[in-house]
Amino acid sequence: MSRGQISIQDVVKVYDPEGAAVMAVDHCSLDIEAGEICMIVGPSGCGKTTLLNAIAGFHDITSGRIVMDGEVLCSDEKRMSTPGPDRIVVFQNGALFPWKSNLENVIFGPVMQGKLGRRQALEKGRAMMSDAGLSGVEHNYPGEVSSGMRRRVEIVRALMNEPKALLLDEPYRALDSLTKSVMHEALLEIYYKNKVTIFFITHDLEEAIFLGHRVAIMTTRPCKPKKVLNVDIPHPRDYGVLTSKRFRELIEETNEAVHEEALKAFQAGEKEG
Amino acid sequence: MAAAIPVGAADGAVAALRESTPFGDASPGLLARIAAIARAARYPAGARVYGAGDDADDIFVVVSGRVDHVFTPEVGARDPLKRMTRGGVFGWAGLLLGQTKRLATVTATEPTEVLRIDTEALVALLESQPLDGGRVRERFVGMIQREFTVPALLAQVRRLSGPLTEEMSTLSLTMYRLSLWLKSPRPYLMVIGFALFLGFWYLAVELWKLPRFREMPGLTSVVKEWISPNPTYGLSLYTGEYYQHIIVSVWRVAKAFLLATLLGVAFGLLLGWSRAFKEYVFPVFEMLRPIPILAWVPLAIVMFIATESAVVYLAFLASFFATALNTMLGVESIDESYIRAANCLGANRRQVFRHVIIPGALPFIFTGLQISIGVSWFSLVAAEMVSGQYGLGYVINTSYMMVRYPTIIIGMVTLGIVGYVTSAMVRIAGDYMMEWRVRELALAER
Repeated sequence: MSRGQISIQDVVKVYDPEGAAVMAVDHCSLDIEAGEICMIVGPSGCGKTTLLNAIAGFHDITSGRIVMDGEVLCSDEKRMSTPGPDRIVVFQNGALFPWKSNLENVIFGPVMQGKLGRRQALEKGRAMMSDAGLSGVEHNYPGEVSSGMRRRVEIVRALMNEPKALLLDEPYRALDSLTKSVMHEALLEIYYKNKVTIFFITHDLEEAIFLGHRVAIMTTRPCKPKKVLNVDIPHPRDYGVLTSKRFRELIEETNEAVHEEALKAFQAGEKEG
Repeated sequence: MAAAIPVGAADGAVAALRESTPFGDASPGLLARIAAIARAARYPAGARVYGAGDDADDIFVVVSGRVDHVFTPEVGARDPLKRMTRGGVFGWAGLLLGQTKRLATVTATEPTEVLRIDTEALVALLESQPLDGGRVRERFVGMIQREFTVPALLAQVRRLSGPLTEEMSTLSLTMYRLSLWLKSPRPYLMVIGFALFLGFWYLAVELWKLPRFREMPGLTSVVKEWISPNPTYGLSLYTGEYYQHIIVSVWRVAKAFLLATLLGVAFGLLLGWSRAFKEYVFPVFEMLRPIPILAWVPLAIVMFIATESAVVYLAFLASFFATALNTMLGVESIDESYIRAANCLGANRRQVFRHVIIPGALPFIFTGLQISIGVSWFSLVAAEMVSGQYGLGYVINTSYMMVRYPTIIIGMVTLGIVGYVTSAMVRIAGDYMMEWRVRELALAER
């Protein structure tokens, strides 16, 4: 499969608020293979969201190149990529339109792009929602269903566009740990049905190792990969993995690196304050 | 097969009730009475508290431990499996109309202590205390509604509250809220509030003849004048002239308000949407906005030779500023991630405007319209007092000059009533256009 291969090449991002150049991303290179789940782990504020924004096209980069399936998204010549339905972001706090019903949210992409007629879109939307265990809430508004369900609707809304990649920005951060565990299995289930590349940002190491094929641990501001871990636990996975010996070993192997960066971020925070 | 061991009402019962959703804000008195009818029970880990289809008798509140609560699939619950700890409430099926069987299976997963409250006794107790009990019932309704999606079950919640139709349309939700309101103590408190106000007016003016109040028209003389078929000063419910004044004022406000809404919303959307436009226009706008409407009167008279247009223009002006400003704030309040999400999903600029900016700004726009209709009345009356031939402001002003004091009050009260009705109409229109918001509010904790 050659869909959704993302190559981040030597990307630099410098924020320049009032002349104080803050380097958010420093010569960061990372190859995300087509169809893999790549987890990006780092402490809050380390610059990982900056990277996601650059891929999605919400922010420009200072230098470097991001290429997806041979197509240059952004480079030194064209600093900002254009957002599009081939790379869809699932936001930290959720971005379902509260004024549209869940089903209307789900069909938004194809209808706006004119790829499907309304009727076909509704049909496909219903089918995909029921596939994801969401039948019964099509005509509810997002504000009427649980936060776990909202996240699922949002992922279905993204998948309706048959994207090459999903970019998830700590999507489960606001959920309680029980809902979170349900959501992890649901995400894997959706992933096994629709193979897409998943670029998933988190600060939760267990979440990263449980879900990812690979886990990139990032240094804190400026952000670049400190260590890339191959998670050699075979997919499909379920919650049994969490108690397996290999899982514990992998956590132990990486915990120190993560902790080190968290400590650095904490101390940097203290200095600023 | 309940392995319950009655242990008598625990001292901690009130504390546990206070931590639960429906009883959380009941008064200490009511909590004590509920605690008195509650029985404590204990279940060892693994014991079944009840199964789906059992008779629904008691309501349970978890004091300590943990239970797994699994709804039967027919219920269409939002979250079929719930794990409950201290403060969790279950077993309320008996509160539903026509529901005598349990809808879920509940198992203790740890050694668990609960309070059991007889459903019938609880309903009787809540009904005996309309003020406090009403609030608890509302909380129950909110809690139960959040569990389900099946309309048939939602309709059963009726036992706790007013009629709730199977289809939760906007109208039925509005009616439902109205019926809840009528069942709550609030309307009666409102009546008492009015009675106190009118009573004070009567006593201060007519009985005690307090200084400063002595010269005011009294309650009885105003009411007598108002309902007299043959009014002393020429204006009452029976004279055609009274309605003519109302119609003239309403028509002026309608023209001013509609025009202000049309232009103000468009202008505000543009201000919020286009940075360049805002930079040109907003400073001028902000300088003109604080100028009191009365300061515009001379200019308005010079600009419009006909007094009618001048009066409408003044009412329009005040309205326009309120609507435009709120619309702009509405656009600016929209979370950036909605716009980003729309971009990701392939929407172009025009589609983002139509599907994100306008609906996203709507809550603020309607807040603006509420303010706008108010200031529209305010400036209309001011304008009518200065220039004008008819209208309620004109009535008040001429009655003052001709020493018809009761008629002043009639004009004022009429203004209050008509103003309230128009503002309620704006609110209802908003409810219709933002069903999503009405539903969110109706399902949120009341």
